Parts: sequence; structure tokens; C-alpha cells
Amino acid sequence: MADLKSLEHPTLKVPYEILNKKFRTAQKSLDREASHVQQAARELESTISGGNVRARDITSLLGGMVEKLQVLKRKAEESISEELAASNVCKRRLEHLKERETLTSAGTVSQGAVNQWKRKRLDRMMVEYFLRNGYYNAAITLAEKSDIKDLTNIEIFLTSREIEKSLANHETSKCLIWCHDNKSKLRKLKSNMEFNLRIQEFVELIRSERRMDAIKHARKHFPSFEDEHLDTIQRVMALLAFPIGTEIKPYKALFDETRWDTLIEQFRQENYRLFQLASQSVFTVALQAGLSALKTPYPLMHFTCCYSDNGENRNPACPVCQPCLNQLAESLPFAHCSQSRLYCHISGLPLNENNLPMMLPNGYIYGEQALEQMAKENNGQIICPKTKEIFPFKKVEKVYVM
Amino acid sequence: MDACLAVEKEIDRVLTKFGDINENTGRILSDLITHIERLKAELENAPEDHTLTSVQVDILKQCMGKVKETVSRLTTDHRDLHSTVSKVGKAIDRNFIADFAATSREEVFAAPEKINLINKVICQHLYRQGMQEVAEALVQDADIAPEIHNKEPFTELNHILDSLKSKDLEPALAWATAHHDALEAQNSSLEFKLHRLKFIELLKQGASHQTDAISYARIHFRKFVLRHEKDIQTLMGMLLYVPNGIGSSPYSCLLDSEMWLEIYELFTNDACQLLGVSVNSPLGTCINAGCSAIPALLNIKQVMMQRQVTGIWNGKDELPIEIDLGSEGRYHSMFACPILRQQSTQNNPPMRLICGHVISRDALHKLCNGNKMKCPYCPIEQSPSDARLIYF
Repeated sequence: MADLKSLEHPTLKVPYEILNKKFRTAQKSLDREASHVQQAARELESTISGGNVRARDITSLLGGMVEKLQVLKRKAEESISEELAASNVCKRRLEHLKERETLTSAGTVSQGAVNQWKRKRLDRMMVEYFLRNGYYNAAITLAEKSDIKDLTNIEIFLTSREIEKSLANHETSKCLIWCHDNKSKLRKLKSNMEFNLRIQEFVELIRSERRMDAIKHARKHFPSFEDEHLDTIQRVMALLAFPIGTEIKPYKALFDETRWDTLIEQFRQENYRLFQLASQSVFTVALQAGLSALKTPYPLMHFTCCYSDNGENRNPACPVCQPCLNQLAESLPFAHCSQSRLYCHISGLPLNENNLPMMLPNGYIYGEQALEQMAKENNGQIICPKTKEIFPFKKVEKVYVM
Repeated sequence: MDACLAVEKEIDRVLTKFGDINENTGRILSDLITHIERLKAELENAPEDHTLTSVQVDILKQCMGKVKETVSRLTTDHRDLHSTVSKVGKAIDRNFIADFAATSREEVFAAPEKINLINKVICQHLYRQGMQEVAEALVQDADIAPEIHNKEPFTELNHILDSLKSKDLEPALAWATAHHDALEAQNSSLEFKLHRLKFIELLKQGASHQTDAISYARIHFRKFVLRHEKDIQTLMGMLLYVPNGIGSSPYSCLLDSEMWLEIYELFTNDACQLLGVSVNSPLGTCINAGCSAIPALLNIKQVMMQRQVTGIWNGKDELPIEIDLGSEGRYHSMFACPILRQQSTQNNPPMRLICGHVISRDALHKLCNGNKMKCPYCPIEQSPSDARLIYF
């Protein structure tokens, strides 16, 4: 199924990244506990090799060893069960995706089940869209209502919500902890998030006129960035020489409060990259593609189309004719159409060899079947539904559309 | 299917390996712990000032060696699992497309008023689906003006449909009676079919209810005689078989439970038409269309990149390929000129030649030779001024 392949990458990739992260923390804590045990073993060894060892000393050392082993055992159990839980999330999502494939490949399964699956997909997409836009309550309610909590990435967004909140309150600590937690990954992504946070801290110190502290701060944190960001560091350091209300451009910009908003935005983007999420939600991407695919090319005169001036010509069944979607589709490309597709305006049936298109003397085209029916009911008269003109059925002419 | 299966294979491997290591670690570590505890107990039982004998020292040394080895093997075992874990990630990357957004333009929906529109659309959709709570949460979170008139009809419709699902006709009948004139105007047989179903349900209850059924028919069927005479005759025919059971009569098909499904569909269609709304949620239709369009767009994008045609939507304001949405996804007639392979526009409308063939006006001008032209499809020569504008 092509749509799974193209759209479900984040559905699987995010739980994988979580699993990967869990694996690394598990490895770290195992290594730590193991080294404690190793050290205890070494200590015991050195004690016994000293000769003339008293049994009592050894028993206490052995007791310590047992304790450490027990800690290791507990930690191992905990972290491995966390890893298993993370893998199970992956597995569950796969099961859900596979459902879609078995539904279509079996061929006999009812359309209803497929529609149900698609509705669920829409709900999943909406949850993700809500999360990206910060509509957390709506996201949580929807996820609960349609029972898709396991299938959406609510958790990672909720953690980032906390950090965003703290940044909005002009606090850097939470975000710095986040930077530290994901240090190696961020380095791989060449992120300068931490550097930007440090600069902001420096600026805030100057803003509160604690210039000495600012220098101390700079000494402590800036050197580790000097390889890459020397220029920026130099420019930022020059800030020491300026008053807070300076009008000189680059320095005024540094004092700008909106830099915090930029930091929030940067954090969001980096977090997406960390989990390999695209910068746009699947929802908006699919909506764009869908609107384009449905948007009828150009207004055919006097007939229904999504962009005719005359509201009457719109088709209530067509999504792009709905007012809101219509406005959204405005700047999007039209659908491509290289083959004519015609429908009878009276019956709504397609015009083809079974229902030939026929032209009334006023130039309007309708289907043969509908016109014959009308003629039968009206003693051979045709009333054009558009112009209300009356013609005898004999005057109707054939039209050939290739 | 392959994509999912490939990833599943890897994830299953991860699950079994973690399961194994979990078991192993637990077992090995508890063995070790009991072993040491036994040693400890032995030493504790020894007299107060006992110094270790050389045998005991050896045993302890051995034991420590074992501890060190086991623990380091444990951590390496766990570390070795990394390759298994990372294979999952690789399988996902190989089988699923990460860059699905390549076909869309980010800035199109970035403006605040567009976001507002999207939220409104979603809100309408949620009301449609009967998810009031979610819609209200969204209204609050996104700070959009609630549109009360939008939710009322759907609350009612959803309620009626729910009761139809549980085989309760009353709300639907009440609705149909209330909208009698409008339904009549759109030639709908909904009201009659609801009464018919009610009549059948009465007959199903057996001979004891047949007088009820007859009086029901007398009250309600009269106004449908003009349009549904034949159907009513059939229904009256059913009465003949009531004593012996309708199930074994020629009318048994009327007892089928499909009648309920049919009425459900009919009600949705007719009610939506009456209210001037689409049968399916517009947002749902759009998203489904998008989901089938994206794979095709991604493919064409890749081809264009290989041929170094950049900018998928540059030049023409049109998608690069036709997207087949099946018969459901078509709502409007489209005319594409068979000569120029272009869609008709206001300035380039379809023209009918004398012989009946239709081409676009631009094509007509191009085919002109002085004051004459030959139809590209048949031998007829004609004057271009004889062609006439048509309206689809």
C-alpha cells in the first residue's frame, strides 16, 4: 500500500527513537552498576591477597557485594522491561498499520471496515496536528475519545510542552537539561541550541546590569564553542560595552525580547529533528495534496465548479466547494486533467458511449438519457434547466467529445 | 505489505532478544547472589578470630573472578543488542518515506488566517462526527469563534442515525414527518420507506398485531398512493401470509435485515441533501484524496529530480500529473481539449464544430487556414465561424 509507505514514517520512527534512547540509558545504568560491582570485587581481592585475613572483615565485604549485585539485578530488570515496553509500542503500531493492508488485500472485506480505518487515520493525523499547534487539551480529548493514544506521539509533545513553557517564562534550565540529555544526538545534528541558550543567559545577565557575572558566565561557558562560533562570541562580548537601551543595530537586536520566541521555535524544530519528525504535520501535507487533487481546473462557464462566481453553481457534495476549504485551496495548484470527464447536470451520471452528450440549441450539454426521459414526460419538449428555454426534442444535436 | 513485514521482522527479533536477556540476567545474577550468600554464611559460622585458610582464599578468589567475568559479560551482551535495535531504525528508513512533505509547500498554510480556517474546518468535522467534547476543547485551545448553527443539525442527525442503528424508527419518522414538504420537493421516498419498515415490523410480530398493522397502513399510506401504488399493493399482499408466517412466503425478502442498512444509507443521503451538506465529511474526503495523491506526487517528484526538472509546481499552476481518485472523487465536469491537451478556461472555452466534434477555441484558431478549416477527426471542411460555444 503506497499510502502507508509514504505517510506512516513518523508513526514508526518516533517509537523507534524512543526505544533507541531507552537502550542507551539502559546501557549507561548497567555499565555504572557493573563497575560498582567490579570495584567491590577488586577491593575484596586486594584484601585477601594481603594475607592473615579475618573472616569477619570478609563477611562484611561479601555483604556489600551482595547488595551491589542486587542493585544491578534490579536496575537490569527495570531497564530491560522499559526497553521491552518501548519495542511493544512499535509492535502495536505495526499491527495497526497491517490491519489496513489485510483489509484491502483480502478483497472481500467490507468497505465499511476500510472507511473505519481511514477515519482512525484522520483522527491520528488530527491529534498530531493539534499537538504541533499546541492544542494539547483537544489532542488528549480526541486521542481518548477515539482510543488511539498508543498510536500517536502525545508523550514526546507533552515533555516538550513543559520545556516550551519554561522558555516562555524566560527560564533556560529545563531546556539546558534537555540539551544535556540529548547531547550526542544534538552534536550529530550540528545543533547550536545550547550555544544560543548560553548567549541568552549572557544577555539576560547584562540586562539586569550584572556585568561582572556576565563575564564569569562567558568565561565558563563560551570557550567550548569557540571553534565554531568565534565570530558570534566576539560580537556578543562587545555587548559589555553598550548600555541596555542602545540604538545600535546588532546590539539592539540582541536585547530584543522576541529572541525568546526564536529560542522556543528553534527548540521545537530541533526536537522534531531529534525524533526525525518532518517540519510539517502529515495532516497539513495530506490536506494540501487532497485539496489540489480535488480542485477543479478552471471554471467552465455556467457549470458547477469550485471557483465560479455564482454560488448556485457549486456542488454541495464537493469538499472544495465548502466555504472554508474553498478559501484554503485558493493558493494551491489545480488538479491536472488531460482527459475530459463530463457529467450530466440533470442526472449526475457520467457522459460516455452509454449516455451520449447532447447539445440543446442554446449550447448547453446534457446527457441523452436525462433528455429522453424529460421528453417522454413533457410530450417531446425539453426545458433547459439552466435557462428555462423550451425546445422540441428533435432539435437536440449530438456532440462528440474525444 | 512488505514494508510492514520487514519492520515487523526486526522488531520481533528485538523483542525475543530482550526477552532472552531479561531472563538470563535475572537467572545468572540470582545464582551469583545465592552463591556469595552461601560463602558469607559459611564464614559467619566460623569462630570469631578465624583467619582465612589458603583454601578459603582460593575459593574467594575464584568467586571474585566469576563475579567480574559474569558482570562484564552481562554488559557486553546488552551492548551487543545495539545492532539489533538499530536494524529496526534502518528497516523503517528503508521501507517508509521520511520526506513525505517534499510535495507540499510549507508557507501555504503558515499564515494565521489559514490556520484559523483549518481549525474551523476541523471543528465542523468534529461536530459532524458527533465528537462535541473534542470540538469544544479545540474551540478553547485554538481560540476560534464557535459557530452554533453548525452543530445543531448534526447533533440531531447523529442522534437519529444512532437510533436507526439500534432499530428504533421513531426519531427518524418524526424528522421525516417534520420535513415532509421539503422531502417531497426533492422526490425523496424516505418518508414512505420509513412507514413501510414500520408496517413490516408490525406484521413481523404475528397475527395478533395484524389489525394494528392494517390501521397503521390506513392512516399513513394514503398520502403515498400516487407515487408508491405498486409498493403499497405489495405490502397489502403480505397480509395474506400472516397466519402461516411471512418468512416462507413470496414476500420473505421484505423481512431481510438489509432493509435497515438501506434505510440508514437513504436517511443519510436524503437528510444531507435536504440540509445542503455533503454525505461524507468534506475534511475526510479531502484527507483521503490527499493520502492517495501523495504517493503519486512523491513518485513524480523523484522522476523529475532525476531528470533535473526542478520545482514541482513551477510554471503552471497545476499538479504535474493526473490523480485518479476513483468515481467518488469527482464532483465537476472537466473538459480537456483533445488537440492541445489542456484544460478549458474562460478564455479558451470548448467549441462544437459543425460535425459535432468538440475542441477548444485556441485549437480552433490554430487549425484555421485562412477562412477554412478541416475537422481534425473527420473529413468535413467548414468555416471556423460556424463553430459554436458550448456549456457543460
